[in-house]
Amino acid sequence: MTSRRAQWLAPILALLILGITGGASAQDRTGGEEGLRSLSRIVRLFNQRVADPRAQDGEDGANGFSALMDWLLESEFRDRVYVSGTLETETGIETEDGDFQKLEFILKPEFEIELPKDWYLTVIPRVRYDVFDELEPDQPEQNSISSWSRRLFVGDHGDIELREFYVQNIIRDVYVTLGKQQVVWGKADGLRVLDVVNPFDFREFILDDFDDSRIPLWMANLEIPIKDATLQLLWIPDLTYHQLPEDGATYEFVSNVPQPMPGVPTTVEDVDRPDNLITDSDVGARLSWFWEGWDLSLNYLYHYDDIPVLYRQLQITPTGPRVVVSPEYERTHLIGGTFSNAFGDLTFRGELGYSTDKYYSTTDPNDPDGVHKTGEFGYVVGFDWYGFSDTLLSFQFFQNILMDDAPGLLRDQVDNNASFLVRRDFMNDTVELSNLWVHNLNDHDGFNRSKVKYAWRDDVNVWAGLDVLYGTKEGLFGQFEESSRVLVGMEWSF
Amino acid sequence: MKHFSAPRLLAAFAVIAGLMAAPASQAQEELTGPEIFEKVNNRDDGEFLTRDMKIVMTDDSGKTREQNTHTYRRYYGREKRAVIFYTDPANVKDTGFLTYDYPDPDKDDDQWLYLPALRRVRRISSSNRGDYYLGTDLTYEDIKLDTRLSDEFDWKRVGTEDVKGAECLVIEGTPKSREIAEELGYSKFKAWIDPEMWMMRRSDTWDTNGNFLKTVWWEDFTQIDGIWTVRRMFTENHKTGHTTLMEFSEIDFETPIDDDKFTERALKRGVRGR
Repeated sequence: MTSRRAQWLAPILALLILGITGGASAQDRTGGEEGLRSLSRIVRLFNQRVADPRAQDGEDGANGFSALMDWLLESEFRDRVYVSGTLETETGIETEDGDFQKLEFILKPEFEIELPKDWYLTVIPRVRYDVFDELEPDQPEQNSISSWSRRLFVGDHGDIELREFYVQNIIRDVYVTLGKQQVVWGKADGLRVLDVVNPFDFREFILDDFDDSRIPLWMANLEIPIKDATLQLLWIPDLTYHQLPEDGATYEFVSNVPQPMPGVPTTVEDVDRPDNLITDSDVGARLSWFWEGWDLSLNYLYHYDDIPVLYRQLQITPTGPRVVVSPEYERTHLIGGTFSNAFGDLTFRGELGYSTDKYYSTTDPNDPDGVHKTGEFGYVVGFDWYGFSDTLLSFQFFQNILMDDAPGLLRDQVDNNASFLVRRDFMNDTVELSNLWVHNLNDHDGFNRSKVKYAWRDDVNVWAGLDVLYGTKEGLFGQFEESSRVLVGMEWSF
Repeated sequence: MKHFSAPRLLAAFAVIAGLMAAPASQAQEELTGPEIFEKVNNRDDGEFLTRDMKIVMTDDSGKTREQNTHTYRRYYGREKRAVIFYTDPANVKDTGFLTYDYPDPDKDDDQWLYLPALRRVRRISSSNRGDYYLGTDLTYEDIKLDTRLSDEFDWKRVGTEDVKGAECLVIEGTPKSREIAEELGYSKFKAWIDPEMWMMRRSDTWDTNGNFLKTVWWEDFTQIDGIWTVRRMFTENHKTGHTTLMEFSEIDFETPIDDDKFTERALKRGVRGR
């Protein structure tokens, strides 16, 4: 018991030291090396202490540290806390020029604490350190993140975030989850139609695991059984929106972004952010049920779109014309649903959603505010084929349709994407080969991810992969063609 | 009225008692394959079942992987619903597998898989029942049947043999059709049944090419809540050299299990406090 329960302290303290020393150091590599030495020292000390509590304290002078460990091991607290987590490292090297894109260390411990009256508290912090700081140069502003949800930066390379913090209970058959959490709607892989409850951090575009890039929100989440159905109600007072990469970041968006008028000065005002926790909160409901073999749901979300609308105004001043851009978050109703069923070797699934008020920038000079308001309908249908042993073939088609067209819009009225996934397991599921291809049929750009993952031990996974982005620079994916990369990584679970 | 004398009554009683007390083995010797199949599958295995399961998978080089799960199973008439929650290690923690097994052979079972990394429940096909379950040496069909025999085989009695000190009735089954054989991945199934409990102590299977494929050993039997149950199951895959050990503990047949345990929302929530 002591070995398993206490081992989590080592990596947490180690990575805190890693982040602090890395941030404090004037030179990236020195900080990183010092942090790694600290990690090694602490893990070694822990293993010694846990394996043989009678072992003398080493030259590191860990008396106080031992006392802390002893308290944790002997206190009542110990039996009510379940600890697990992962320590991951991933390296990305750009195929264009061989430059490092990232060398990340990420610690994500998970604490589950048994409280009185059958309440459980889940706490998931994340400590992250990137040696190369290319994905988020310096310290991002976090203006789109509410003050309760912001990360703490440790220098330019490290950050600490309280990812999730919620209490759970079952009260009169109602699942109650209160606190910072992720809620995932929808049935699609890769691209999203209804998975819009939580905003995303686009630090790595859409290439990061959604579980890591989705930004948890403070919310109340109730799941109420109604006969054979479940009604989920959400109240989200957390005014946090998409975190977009800033200037100079590897995945800074440059396509489909309104450009300044040549020769005309442009002023960008501060974003008009919602600020009332009550009147500006998002609310949602989902009714889901199983009927005659079909998994069905109806979804509704009244929410702020997670990207601000860039209203522009041309002003005539004594010194000449100038453009004033006023970013503002706007709200919309989203109504939709999902379905899935299995027929022999084939699983059929889909989701659809209609947003009443979406706003898209237009370059039409006659448009008074540079923004076109329209309804938007999106859907995805997917087919998963399990006909071959230990193999999944999955095909999806996404379509997004603006109800009104307008001149100068920065996107097509109808946008089409397709994806194809092949995944095969080998050697009793210790080896997984996969290839995901996502292609935009309008701009003929896309990305392809090939990956091999190996379960080296039951607590260690290793992987290698290749992310290739291709196509026109004006495309959503093609704009990042030069950021295609090779990835290698390792994850230790505890 | 004819009266029977005491000695005659005693003699008659002795004859009747002698017939009734004929050695069990003699009666069992007369059982056919289908009759043994019926006894195994009609064995009381409880309306409810809650248990922990430790899975240790070992490859041919000796490297092991260990996982822990918590399982609920409940019968709704002849329909069976089961959910398996992975609790350990962290890289599979909160993974859940839910299945509704229908008695109608023409109705596909419904299955769902919850992957914590995706935070979504995925509907999966149940037709891949011959595929190995999440890295183990047991197929999805093996997991579904648990200690029962498949009704998609024709069973015949082939003898009596000793298995680790227990005299067992031996039956062999062949799939009722080529299609079933392809789906299940078996061309022949041989089972050693302990008539004291009507449970398997050993099974051998052959693949669709007739090659000797697997041996499963059921061991450490005990009665819990009046129901015979097995606490250890060891599978050897003779083709790959891989083995799977499953050890069952905290077995409970008495505590009722709420319907809610077999829902998508419970699948996502996982098991707390483990």
